[in-house]
Amino acid sequence: MAAEPPEIVLRILDAHRRYAQSAPKGAKKAPALDGVSFQIAAGEIYALIGRNGAGKSTLAKAAIGALALQSGTVRVLGGDPAKNRAVAGAIGVAPQDIALYGHLTVAENLYAFATLAGVRRGRAEAVAAAMAATACTPRAATRIDQLSGGWRRRANLAAAIVHRPRLLVLDEPTEGLDSQTRLALRRLIIDLKTEGTAILLISHDADDVRALADRVGVLEAGRLVAEGSPANLMAQAFGGRQDLTVLLNGPVGEAEKTLVKSGLVTSDAGVSWSGLVFDAPAMASRLDRALRKRGVEAGEISVRQPGLDALIAWACRAASSLETAA
Amino acid sequence: MILVVLRVMALGLWRDRAGLVLTFALPPLVFIVFASVFAAGANGKLDVKAGVVDQAASAESRRLTNALSHQLGGRLTTYPDRAALLDAVANGRVDAGLVLAGDLSLAPAPAIVLVHPGRRAAGEVLTAQVKAVADRALPDVMMEREIVRLGPVLGLSKRQLSRLSGRPAPAPSAPFVTQQMLGGGDPMVIYYAGAVSILFLMFTAMQGAMSLIDERRAGLRLRLGLSAGGVAPLLLGRMLWLTALGVAQALVLFIVAMSLYHIPLVQSLAPWAVTAIVAAAASGGLALALAAACPTREQAQTLSTFVVLILAAVGGSMAPRFLMPAPLQALGWLTPHAWVIEAYQAILWRRIVNADVLAAWAILAAFAAAGFLIALTLESRRRL
Repeated sequence: MAAEPPEIVLRILDAHRRYAQSAPKGAKKAPALDGVSFQIAAGEIYALIGRNGAGKSTLAKAAIGALALQSGTVRVLGGDPAKNRAVAGAIGVAPQDIALYGHLTVAENLYAFATLAGVRRGRAEAVAAAMAATACTPRAATRIDQLSGGWRRRANLAAAIVHRPRLLVLDEPTEGLDSQTRLALRRLIIDLKTEGTAILLISHDADDVRALADRVGVLEAGRLVAEGSPANLMAQAFGGRQDLTVLLNGPVGEAEKTLVKSGLVTSDAGVSWSGLVFDAPAMASRLDRALRKRGVEAGEISVRQPGLDALIAWACRAASSLETAA
Repeated sequence: MILVVLRVMALGLWRDRAGLVLTFALPPLVFIVFASVFAAGANGKLDVKAGVVDQAASAESRRLTNALSHQLGGRLTTYPDRAALLDAVANGRVDAGLVLAGDLSLAPAPAIVLVHPGRRAAGEVLTAQVKAVADRALPDVMMEREIVRLGPVLGLSKRQLSRLSGRPAPAPSAPFVTQQMLGGGDPMVIYYAGAVSILFLMFTAMQGAMSLIDERRAGLRLRLGLSAGGVAPLLLGRMLWLTALGVAQALVLFIVAMSLYHIPLVQSLAPWAVTAIVAAAASGGLALALAAACPTREQAQTLSTFVVLILAAVGGSMAPRFLMPAPLQALGWLTPHAWVIEAYQAILWRRIVNADVLAAWAILAAFAAAGFLIALTLESRRRL
């Protein structure tokens, strides 16, 4: 017998929203959301990426019912979160800002948010569980305004999950954190996913998206221009190419031709060169040798996976050429 | 470099419209209020509301009453007897009362101005106006009294005086108008306890309501918007807190007033508590409405300073209302301050809870409800 498909927790259909004050007087108003449709199933992490002003925050607010759409529908567990308080209670949100009362302790904050979210029985247990899940228990009695950035992020996440929401919206959850705390928070997010929570992740961090997301949506000018698993999108966009960067210690001189021929371009008058290339590690070795031969010393040659900016730029270009072709 | 700094500062002010209003509109407005209060007071041109009882019921007393009525316009009320007039003065329906108690020509002090200690200035103004009106409207009577007064100085006999005045036996040596102070204590202490209390209630409520804006800024509003009850309980909780805080603040102030000036707080505790609650709720409601209407804390701070100062000036928190011109007094009834001050005066000085106090409570409760509903509407519609 085939397994039942996972329950759809968030479904957004043909969402349109235009801000009245978003355009200068007389200019055409650009839409904040222009026909966006997507869905997230239970136990799935959907990452929303895009440039600043692409409409990510607007879409996240619409998803939790905090922003009315001009047309289109938002359904969380089948209900409208803007009108149905029970549905709204099934949503947890961890905004990019630390949305906690600074003068209260971690435990006091969680107790307050559990109460506001309608947790009636077992409130103390819910608070303890949220603190344990985010490893905040050692700081339970510390005021938020006396915590470091990492602890505040954990507490911010704890407040979002204290009522055990079915849909969790995370806006840049690991921003400004050291690598250890970042890894710990990623583990926590994966745990929540494993428990069946549907997660909408808004992030600019390529590593977060790669490590966490099951699917990625690229938003540009209010439209979803690409969607798929991170691996698929990366393969489509870059086809195995990697980001090769060369930092020179001295003037480029005769080595310029070699670098250009390798497909690298400079953005700062010849000191730093970069580009997306196939078989980047081999190319890095070849370039190192070629530069030495011409008496140019490379301070650093690095190979990385392409970042989200490159992916976004690719998705936008692809959408634009499709439109032109149509 | 200096010019750049000047330009940056000037652009900052120009683009901060609320700051512009505060800088250039508030000072003249407050000046107008104070100038109209104190300039009128200094010139004796106060719009005093007066009551009169004509016990003499003579042709002269009617002439004087008519002339006084003409002088005061619609601000003179006639009462049937002294008891009714005393009640009106004591309850503050009129600022001072005039009793015409005897023959205006012959009685030693036929005109008696009744005033309570909280409105001494009103008594002085009415006394001066009665004298001036009598000199104009009753020249014959006043001349007669002068002749009688000056008779002994001029060496005139009683017979000569009688012949000059055309009356039998002139006797008065007392002035035409005298003043009689009603009651005791110092109602101005109670006036200012109420006035200062509502002034600071407004400041405290405005500061407390700013948390609405802080929550929006910190992203808390997004999280709070998902709460089980929606916006209404979040606002109601704030309203209750601001009310409780306001009552506690008023209690501290009145305890100090009781300790230093023997205000009868304990004896009138229940009606005082009702007044304190509705006053704090009115402040809380207005503060929440204002915070909900402002997108930023900076705007709210500027606007609240403006609103608090203007309401305090017009409502009588800075200068007694009876010293204000009549239009400003009428405008004062649009502020919670005037109702709070009147309610405290009635309860703590006159020690009564009458229809006026009940009306004040109802109006303050209406301020609270209106402010709350405006805040609720604005916050419910607010785009995050």
